[in-house]
Formats: sequence, C-alpha cells, structure tokens
Amino acid sequence: MSEKQEKMRQCAEKLLRDGEAGYVIGWGETRFDDRTTPIFVEDPAGAGAFVWNEYAINSLAKYLLDDKYPDKKIGLFTRGCESRAINRLLKDNQIKRENVYLIGVPCDGKKSDRCTLCRERNPILYDVLLWTPEDDPPPAAGRFDRVKDIEAMSPDERYVYWGETYDSCIRCYACRNVCPACNCRECYADMSKTGFQGKQHSRSDNQIFGVTRAFHVGDRCIECGECERVCPMNLPIMGQTQKILKDINELTGEYECGMDATSENYLGRFDLDDKDEFM
Amino acid sequence: MELKKDKLTEALLLLRGASNVILPVSNDGAPVFKLWDGVAEPCLSANTSLPPKDLLFPRSEKMYDYNVKTGNISEISSNKKQTVFGIRPCDVRSIENLDHAFLESGYTDSYYKTRRDGLTTIALACTETARTCFCDSMGLSPNDAPGADIVLNDRGDAYTVKSNTEKGEEITRLWKSLLSKETGKASKASGSVVCDFKARADKDLPEKLVARFDDPMWDKLSKACLGCGCCSFICPTCYCFDIGRENHGASGTAFRCWDSCMFSDYSRMAGGHDPRPSKKERLRNRYLHKLAYFNLRYGVTLCVGCGRCVDKCPANLDVTRAMDIISEGVRADG
Amino acid sequence: MAESIRAANIEAKNADGRAVNPLLPCMCRVIRITEETPDVKTFRIQTPDGAKPFDPMPGQLAMLSVMGVGEAMFSVTAKDDDWIESSIKKVGQLTEALHSLSEGDLIGVRGPYGNHFPVEDIKGKDLLFVGGGIGLAPVRSLIRYALEHREDYGSLDVLYGSRSYGDLVFKSDIFENWPSRCNVHITIDNAEDGWDGHVGFVPTYLEEKAFSPENKAVVLCGPPIMIKFCLASLMKMGFSKENVITTLEMRMKCGVGKCGRCNIGSKYVCLDGPVFTMSELDDLPDEK
Repeated sequence: MSEKQEKMRQCAEKLLRDGEAGYVIGWGETRFDDRTTPIFVEDPAGAGAFVWNEYAINSLAKYLLDDKYPDKKIGLFTRGCESRAINRLLKDNQIKRENVYLIGVPCDGKKSDRCTLCRERNPILYDVLLWTPEDDPPPAAGRFDRVKDIEAMSPDERYVYWGETYDSCIRCYACRNVCPACNCRECYADMSKTGFQGKQHSRSDNQIFGVTRAFHVGDRCIECGECERVCPMNLPIMGQTQKILKDINELTGEYECGMDATSENYLGRFDLDDKDEFM
Repeated sequence: MELKKDKLTEALLLLRGASNVILPVSNDGAPVFKLWDGVAEPCLSANTSLPPKDLLFPRSEKMYDYNVKTGNISEISSNKKQTVFGIRPCDVRSIENLDHAFLESGYTDSYYKTRRDGLTTIALACTETARTCFCDSMGLSPNDAPGADIVLNDRGDAYTVKSNTEKGEEITRLWKSLLSKETGKASKASGSVVCDFKARADKDLPEKLVARFDDPMWDKLSKACLGCGCCSFICPTCYCFDIGRENHGASGTAFRCWDSCMFSDYSRMAGGHDPRPSKKERLRNRYLHKLAYFNLRYGVTLCVGCGRCVDKCPANLDVTRAMDIISEGVRADG
Repeated sequence: MAESIRAANIEAKNADGRAVNPLLPCMCRVIRITEETPDVKTFRIQTPDGAKPFDPMPGQLAMLSVMGVGEAMFSVTAKDDDWIESSIKKVGQLTEALHSLSEGDLIGVRGPYGNHFPVEDIKGKDLLFVGGGIGLAPVRSLIRYALEHREDYGSLDVLYGSRSYGDLVFKSDIFENWPSRCNVHITIDNAEDGWDGHVGFVPTYLEEKAFSPENKAVVLCGPPIMIKFCLASLMKMGFSKENVITTLEMRMKCGVGKCGRCNIGSKYVCLDGPVFTMSELDDLPDEK
C-alpha cells in the first residue's frame, strides 16, 4: 500500500514541479484513520499529503466541473470508477480531455458498499499508469440482483415500497451533487420559480425528485454507487437507475455506460426502428 | 428521585395518556425519533441520526390557506402537546438556540412559539459518546441538560430523575407512583462522560473568524464541498427556511420548509445577482453563522457539537478543522 | 467577546394594535396604479376598509404578495392617511405578476419591516438626496417626510438621474410637486430630443454641483455602480461616510430576521437594515 502511495506522491510532485498540472486532486487524511477527504494540492511540496489506503473511497471526477476552464491541466488520480466518470463528462461535453491529466491508479477495492458493484477496477483511460493493472473483480453476476428483488413485488407493493422509502428522503441533493451524470448547469430542482419541483417535503415531491432524477440519469448512469454512499438516509437510489439500465440491457443487449466517450445514450437518441412493444 | 428501568414502559404510557410521545426507536439499528405507538422498544444506545428540530420546526409546515378570488386568508396553527423522551444534552441545547432565533431579539415566530409551548423535553444524559461528539468543546456537558424539563441519568437499573422546570414538575407528579428514592448505587459510569473528539472553540473564536473573512483558507476548506444540503438538514440548529405555496385552482396553501444556505438558489436575487455565488462563500457563511454571527447576535455559539455533520458529510469535511485552523492561527494546507 | 447586538423585541401588530402573526399577510386592495416608466409601476394600496395597511416610517419595507405566485420585499415609497405606495420595477416572476394587476385587485401585504431613515439624527441638517433610476423609490419616502416636517430640516436638494427621460420615475413629483418646495436637479445619461435639462451621469453632476459638506447629510440610493462612483465623488467633496446614508437590497423570504438569507455578517438586512450609513457598511463583510 505505502509503495503505491509513494508512487502517487512522487508523480503528483513531479507534475506540479514541472508545471504539467496546476493542481492535483487526490485523497488526504482526516481526523479519523478510516476516512479520507478529497484534497486539491497546488504546491509540489504538498504532494506528501496524498494518501492511498482502503478508505480512499470518494470518487473524484465530479470536482472537475468546479473548474471547467483551468489555466493548466488538472491532475486527477484515476481508478476505474473515475475513468468511467471522465468518459461520462467527455460524452456530455462537460470537460475537455486536454484539460485533465489522468494519473491511472488501478484499484484493489475499497472498504465501501459501493465497491461491491464495481465492474472495472482499472482505469479505462489515463495519461500514465502508476502500477500494473489489478485483476478485475468477479463477473458481475449480481449486477441487477437488487432490481430483481423489486421486480418480484406486485405493482401495489412496489408503490408502497418506494413511497415509504422516499418518505425519509430529506432532499439534501447529495446524490445529485456527487453524480457525474448529474451535470446540468442548473438542475431543474433548483429552478424554484418554474414550479417543476415543489420545495416542500412531502412524499409526492420526494418521489418526483427521485423519479425525475432516475430517468434523467438512467441511461447515463455509470453505476459507481456514489449516490448511495453519500445518502445520509441510506436510500437505495440505484434501485431505480439500475432498473432502467436492466430494461435497456434486456431490450438492446449489453449496455454499460462510461466504458468509452462516444457510445450513444440509449434514451437520448431517436430511431424509427425503436422497439415499441410497450405502446 | 429515581425511576427503575423496569418501570420505564409504564412511565412512558402515563406520558402517552397526556400528550404525544416522541422517542428514539430503531430503524435498521439506527435510532430515529418517532411518534411512539405505545409498543416499540425505545432505542437509547446512541443519539439519533436526525435531530429533533422537526418537532418545533417541521421540514414542511403549512402556514395559511388563501383564496385568490375571495381574498380570504386563514392561519393554520398546530397546538398539539408533544413530549420528547430520550433527547440528548446537545439536542436540548440546540432547542435553546432555536428559541433564541425564533423567539428573541426581534419578532416572535408564532408557529414556532405554539409548538414550543406545547413541547416537554425529557433528556437522557449520555453514558458514552460517539467518536464524532464534541459537545464538551462547545461549552456543554454530555452529563447534564440544564435546558431540559427533566434530565434522566442512567444508573444501571434505574434513571435518576431531575426536574428543571414547571413542566418537569408536572411530569414528576404524573410519575409519582413510579418514582422511588435514589439508592445511590451507580453501577454505570454516568455523570463523568467526556468526548474524545475535541474542537478548539476559544472565547475569541467569533472575532477571529470574522477577522479572517477574506482569508484564502475558505477556498481550501470549501474545495471538497459538494454543495449539498446534507449538513444543514441533519444539523440540530440549522433553521433557515423558505416560504412557498401550493395552488389548487383559486385556493392554495402557503408553507414553509427547510432550506439550506448551501443551495445555489438560496440567496440569488430576482435580477440574478447572488451575493454568495459559489460554494466558498456559502460554506464560509454557514461556518460563520454557526461559530460567529450567532454569537454576535445572541451571545451563544450556534454549533452544539453533536457531530452529525462530521459524521455524515459525503466529502468528509470537518467543521472542527476550521476551528482548529482559526484558533491556532495557522494557514490551511492541502 | 463583543457585546451581542440583541435587538429589542418587536411585536407585530395590525392597524388596530392587536398582536398578529408576523408572517401572515393581510389582504389589501390596489386602489391606484401609476405607470412611471415602461418597466416601473407605482401601486397605491389600501385595506378593504379604506385604511392604510400599517404606518411605516420613511425607508421601511413592505412584504407584498400575489397569492399563488409569491412574495417579495419592497420599500414603501409614500404613505398618506389611508394608503401606502410602493414603486416596483419588473425584474422577475413576482414583479411581472404585480405589473399585470389592475386597479381593484387584491394583494397580500405584511409589514412594516426593517429600520428607517434616521429622521431624528438628521434633524437640523441640510439634506442632499441623490438617486439613480428606481433608486429614488426608497428616497421618496424621506423626501416626503422632510417636506411634511419642513421646519425640522435645513436646505433640501434632490439630485436625480436616469438613463433617459422615459426612465425617470415620479415625474409629477420631480417636475411639479417638489421644485416649488425644494431644489431639484435632474439629469439624464444621454441627450435626447425634447430634453433641455442637464445631460450627464449622476456622479459627474454631483461634483459639478459642488455641494458643501457643511452640516449636510446625504441619502444615496441607486444601482451599485452609481453608488460606488457617487461615494467617491462625495469623499472628494469632503463628506464623511457617517453622513452618507444608503439602503441595501438582499433576497428575503420572512422579513423578520429568521429565515436566514438576507444576512450580511451578523446583520439581517430585513431587520437591522435596509438603511445603513456608509461607515456602517464598511464594518460589514464584503458580501453584498
């Protein structure tokens, strides 16, 4: 672990010293041994603050949207999940590839529930790879297990399940803010004047948010699990997006987002040959 | 006076006869305040994941009905009696702070006042602290809740019962047949609990913070912030609200609901100007409100050290880090 | 630790002096609408019983609502025995709804909120009112007050400008009612046909006029950029910041210092403002 951490620090230090990157985004310490926080290091002498351990959990790519027009490249430690998020942002025209320097760090799995969903430990794209790729996790046989549990419910049961689940949503929008697919410049939920999204906390307004977000990101979700990790109320948010992904998989064959920056978004295209079994 | 633990259910049922009882029950192992059904086992092992502010300042609260055609406006008020059982010292202090904000120094908030008048608090002193608890750095003690109507201290097979107010006396009268003399045997270490997690809340922290309003540390501290409202909504003392309305034809209802100063539309004006346009200004305003502005206005620190924001922040931001930086006069690094 | 700035408790009362819920509007009637400029209208407001909704001091605020649309805070530009007036520029959804009202329509009103111009402190002084565009709206309440209490104040000068003649508000006041009772100096930014008055920006005109700072208080309201340059001019002319008074705008929801969003530092604009001296603003964080 520490050898890899050393490699990361050296790489960041060199990038910053050579002026290749303006700053590097990685993980740093907190007051708790089992937690890290994203850090943004500008000074080469500060590269020693980066840590790499089983608690380097937070996905970092979304922070690129805070600085869309950087003077210099932004260095970013990139695992499989970060690289899929980068592809998401590239495909959605949110960032430019030449504005980022991706430091590939194959991941050995972190201590987070979100990593149990992981299908891609190694960065798909990178500018430099700091160590040899890890073995990919076991085949994602369980990818849609949870969706199957929900599908097994009757429509009435499902209605009650989601209603009760979303009663506890506090609409802090952490799921949205951490999500690389939630990259609208202004979210419909923040446009309070339009009346699209009521601000009051009620089952219906909570559900409207959940459903709207699910459909907006459903065909673009990279299944990183960040939404569920950040949810202070532990809501099973991916149960919705994965349902949409599962349906798309069943309609079109293998469909997985963020594997490249060019594949079409299934719900974002129009095709006369679209299957219309549901009509 | 003490209440034997085997009489607790009886005591709660007596309360339930007189008012709604709200107490922590287990939700997948995590304690949450719920309206007690008279059956559920109280879950008193740790503090609740959400604060009790909802009892006084609901997530959404109807204010008045109106009719556009007739011009009728009718106030909606809720005057139900509520007793909250098992509330911790930090959350008791948070209610005292909300009292400052809603009842003092200017206008009295009618909605809050009605609910406050109807609320009785039965606090439970802590027998252990969570690793993110830092209330004793913020000038309160996990062992006592002087602002509660009644304070219970765990003494192993019984709770000592201390009444602080007239509302508290009412409860002890209600419980008269259940209370016994203190035996004095303390088998559990209640009364000497300290927080392991410390924050530097020096007396001059408000002035120091305000003086560093333009400090580059706010850039550094806010970089990892996601700009979500998690910290605000799980905070026992965040009380910002929005006022909105729901229309049904000619009639409608005005409501207020929790809002967060971390949201992008919070301070944006009608013309588009926003005095706090990015997460740096928003986080700074939130921290300063907690640790400086409220002191300057009401003479007490708004933050009660419950640690919920430290525990739940998706980016693992830590308000105590800002306090340390300020108190020690050092520059933020990394 | 600095002394806390506890404000005295305020009891919200209705016109009869009965305590009321400060967040509850009362329904009032718009009895007259005056079109000031293409995007500014003045609304004269009265209770259904023909009384004024409340009795504001100059500079105080009113929360006006169009039921079903929203609420926003406006300064009360004038009052009489049985009405109050607010002048409102169309900038967003609510103000658009207000502009589409007709005389006789109902609106919600609550207030008065905030502090007011320091009418006592400036007694005996000469007053110079400087306004730009819709910025004359809050100032108008004080000009009217000074004219009603003419003997309490020295000379009165009103210096007001806008982009064009069409954008000048309160034309009947500035051209008819006031000139006989105080000195009125009007300017527009650019020359136009039919205008034979002064042409130029407000700060420049202010310097040209070379007002003496001697025993004079200035009330300065307008767009931020105008305030900035006027303040610089006033400083050059020898005025002190203690004697320059302005009003602030922030987004507001409750109007009673609770909901949070209008704070600048530890002050709430709705409660501790909107009237501040320039020296008071210097003590607040730069977040306006």
